[in-house]
Amino acid sequence: MPQRAPIADYLDALTGELGFDRSLAHRVRREVEDHLWEATTANGDTSIEAQARAVMSFGAARVIAGQYAALSLLRQARWNGAIIVLASGALYIAMKGRAAWYGLMQWALSDALRPVTAVVLAIDRAAYILAFLLGVVGWAYISSRRVSSRFDTACRSQLKWSLRLAMAAVCPMVVSVIADGAVTALRLLEERPPISVFLIPLLSIAIELAFAALLVIAIGKTLRNMLRAASLQSS
Amino acid sequence: MLKGHLDMIVLAALSSGPAHGYAVIQEIHRRSGGAFELPEGTIYPALHRLEQAGLLSSHWTTAESGRQRRVYALTKRGTRALAEERVIWQRFADAIGGLLGHPGHAAARTNR
Repeated sequence: MPQRAPIADYLDALTGELGFDRSLAHRVRREVEDHLWEATTANGDTSIEAQARAVMSFGAARVIAGQYAALSLLRQARWNGAIIVLASGALYIAMKGRAAWYGLMQWALSDALRPVTAVVLAIDRAAYILAFLLGVVGWAYISSRRVSSRFDTACRSQLKWSLRLAMAAVCPMVVSVIADGAVTALRLLEERPPISVFLIPLLSIAIELAFAALLVIAIGKTLRNMLRAASLQSS
Repeated sequence: MLKGHLDMIVLAALSSGPAHGYAVIQEIHRRSGGAFELPEGTIYPALHRLEQAGLLSSHWTTAESGRQRRVYALTKRGTRALAEERVIWQRFADAIGGLLGHPGHAAARTNR
């Protein structure tokens, strides 16, 4: 059976362990490949044994990947926090823009719709405020954490809390977007205005949906990556 | 103990100029007289962490061998952080030196 090169095997193992962050895995692979060949050829020997020695001195792939996990997942969690705050801002602008447009078009609600929309808008407002507050708290929390050099219990706990806060913010945000969509749909179905009039409300709802989807995808990705990294060693 | 000071050690190794990871390890080995035995791979997450903290910058170059190589350099913030670490370490070393080696050593320095 042909013997594989230790460096190639090690790089494959390390890339696999870094599966929680593909762009990081790509960069680390290139960097570590250079290191291992540099270490191997330092004594003018490129034999399998010299490669194996270089790999041995580098350290176990799981341990090295674990040290990257803290860095990568914290960066992802901070990014999620920033998206929540950004999405909150976008939702606010979309809501205010829509209301201003209705005013400009003198597009008032009919008496029949008024009680229903009052309830939906109250839910919308409460959900938005809750999402915004949780988002800001989550962002402030994870931004104030120091980057740990180890993927240890404390680091995992910080990441879990950050993820819980992000998920807690996303749920009311989705409720708020659904409420906005429902009220806008009711208006459009009742009035059936020309496309030039309802384009702005539809666009604003599309923006809200896009941000909510972006957030759900980003948090889902971080959750998946955290689960992938969960088995890595802490030191 | 080494782990707690790894960032300072990496910053110090880069104080003489930009270097790639392997060269940083060689520099640490040379300047410490081979005192620190740690898995070489440990340096790379530290380099990434310091870069993320804004203490290092990095860019890809092509080595003579034709391989891609990431070269790291201290940023202004990194240089300042290293200077601060040096002061803290000097105080600590003086205090421990006073306690263990030369009674009154630390006090003498304090009174200077």
